[in-house]
Amino acid sequence: MKKFSAYTSSLLVTGALFLGACSPNSNNTATNNTTNTTTSSTGTPISIGIAVAQTSNVALLGQEQVAGAKIAEKYFNEKGGINGTPIKLVFQDTAGDEAGAINAFQTLITRDKVVGIVGPTLSQQAFGADPVADRAKVPVLGPSNTAKGVPQIGDYVARVSAPVAVVAPNAVKAALKLNPGIKKVAVFYAQNDAFSKSETETFQQTVKDQNLDLITVQKFQTTDTDFQTQVTNTLNLKPELVIISGLAADGGNLVRQLRELGYKGAIIGGNGLNTSNIFPVCKALCDGILIAQAYSPEHPGEVNAAFRKAYQAQYKKEPPQFSAQAFAGVQVFVEALQKMGDKAKPNPGAIAELRTALNQEILRGQYATPLGEIAFTPEGEVVQKEFYVAQIKMEGDRDSGKFVFLK
Amino acid sequence: MSNYGSDFLATYGFLIVSMLLGAMLGLSLYLPLMAGQLSLASPGFYALGGYIAAILSTKVFPSTGATFSIPLLLLEMVIAGAVSGALGVLVGVPALRLRGIYLAIATIAFVEILRVLALNLEITGGAVGIFGIPQPFQTPLGYLWIVVPLLLLSMFFVYRLENIRIGRALIAIREDELAADAMGINPTYYKVLAFTLGAILAGVVGAVSAHFINTWNARQGTFDASIIYLTFVLIGGSRTVAGPVLGGMVFTALPEVLRAIADTPNLPLWLASFLRDGRLIIFGLLIVIGTIFFPQGLVTPDLFKRRDRTKKMMPTGARK
Repeated sequence: MKKFSAYTSSLLVTGALFLGACSPNSNNTATNNTTNTTTSSTGTPISIGIAVAQTSNVALLGQEQVAGAKIAEKYFNEKGGINGTPIKLVFQDTAGDEAGAINAFQTLITRDKVVGIVGPTLSQQAFGADPVADRAKVPVLGPSNTAKGVPQIGDYVARVSAPVAVVAPNAVKAALKLNPGIKKVAVFYAQNDAFSKSETETFQQTVKDQNLDLITVQKFQTTDTDFQTQVTNTLNLKPELVIISGLAADGGNLVRQLRELGYKGAIIGGNGLNTSNIFPVCKALCDGILIAQAYSPEHPGEVNAAFRKAYQAQYKKEPPQFSAQAFAGVQVFVEALQKMGDKAKPNPGAIAELRTALNQEILRGQYATPLGEIAFTPEGEVVQKEFYVAQIKMEGDRDSGKFVFLK
Repeated sequence: MSNYGSDFLATYGFLIVSMLLGAMLGLSLYLPLMAGQLSLASPGFYALGGYIAAILSTKVFPSTGATFSIPLLLLEMVIAGAVSGALGVLVGVPALRLRGIYLAIATIAFVEILRVLALNLEITGGAVGIFGIPQPFQTPLGYLWIVVPLLLLSMFFVYRLENIRIGRALIAIREDELAADAMGINPTYYKVLAFTLGAILAGVVGAVSAHFINTWNARQGTFDASIIYLTFVLIGGSRTVAGPVLGGMVFTALPEVLRAIADTPNLPLWLASFLRDGRLIIFGLLIVIGTIFFPQGLVTPDLFKRRDRTKKMMPTGARK
């Protein structure tokens, strides 16, 4: 018994040490900051927070965002940063839930004293964490929050990701252009995914607006692997176009089963299928899926050329949309700070004024990003001019393929 | 220094309140465990309580001022507790005829049913959930006014419960249900009672949490959450009140503490990035190690027993 309680108490002591560890550490960073600013005012970088999901089941998206943000940091620092002052990105992992996002935001705001935050990855996390930043009067730019209602959270919340209601209809129009005879449309969506739920509403509205027949709406879960029932039911109704809102694994399997059971018509995928991770799931059967894009690697423009080159040099493939949006988020902060001139100089005493002024500057500006020309409405909604539609082209029955952009 | 102190509180305020909420969720699982019932239904009631608060505060109670009124929050908590309690009785009576792993499966099914309902109903906002929940306090630390008394109250309640006749009956059922039945204890009554008390606590915590994290959706209180709460209790200790409370606090804080350690200056880069990105791996490892070396949890009754003995210099062996 004695040995047992010795075990227990030793573990408790370790636990206490763990808990204690956060205080001296934050103390250190605090003193570091102050000494730095007093000794040299030009060398202190301006901190911008990046709070995206680096772990959990949305990490695939978050890691693409980290890649985009890091390229932006290097690119803008090489160009002289903010009028000579370099920028420094502070990364905090939000994981996949709301509590993780709120913790990451809190740490960035109070401990790292960032001027603004790019993040979080999911719209649902944005609904949890953005109010925290809004109350602290810290500007937030959502790099991939496409759900309805995000910019409306508060004055300090904006996004660079065009809402799904603007992007999705383009795919339907492209499908009609390729095949004007389409009349009967079947819609599939992942019922347990917030993004797919709001995306499918847009798709269904578009189908009605284009005077097409919506013959069936089928639901599935992102965890499903077997779609036989839904597919058989749908094929009996002879659809000419199938629209899928889901994620890569389930969406890919659904495409595979649709094709295997004999569906020959056109397929539109939602933004959840907008990743090369879908290729290994449906292999050659992925061929021909149409997906609307908020970003095209072929977009002309100096910034996109530099971004694309840097991304290809590092990752040996075309940059995905999520990386481009994270880059654009950092770029908006950098260019807004540049325009503020001397007011953007790091000064720990005046961080609150800096954040407020920065927020106003962000909403005023026009930015030539890899996504094209963007600006913001007073509410913080992005105004983006160009959208694209890509078609998946697979190389035989292998895992590799690419997104070919339609003119 | 005071500046540093307020910074610390501002940074970790959210975490501190989360820890206390975690402790109460641990307690809500501990209550049925007192009667030996391995129920994983707590997240279901937690989600239900959250939806009640979210719907009431966004649709029913008009929010006029900058902050949501605290009496209304308390009212929501009462309603959430009452509804959860009523549902607890309804679910408990049939479900508690099952034992052990079968009860666990049935309660998981219950949580799933609530989740699918939340995904399909109009009023719960489907997969997007409910957002823009008004705030009763300006900062996360303000929630301490609600959460600390609630935790103390529930701890005191459970502690007292253990030492009165009802608690003794629950423990008798835990140790040997047949023997307890033979002694004239009605097992169904006490099991449903313990289950319902856990449900009420989880529902009340859910109501506070919905305000606390600003938004509520079907991902709150899923099967994953059941497992995490079970970890709170099993690693913290399933035989005393202090166990789930400590477990809930430590395991809620752990991922964040590892994040803070990773940011310590002058740490080797590989170690820092492992601590930052491998937080959840370490979390999992600790659970594995914990179950091997502390099968009864960190806080065991023996800890208290030994202290009593040294204090009074006499054995209290009669206790068990």
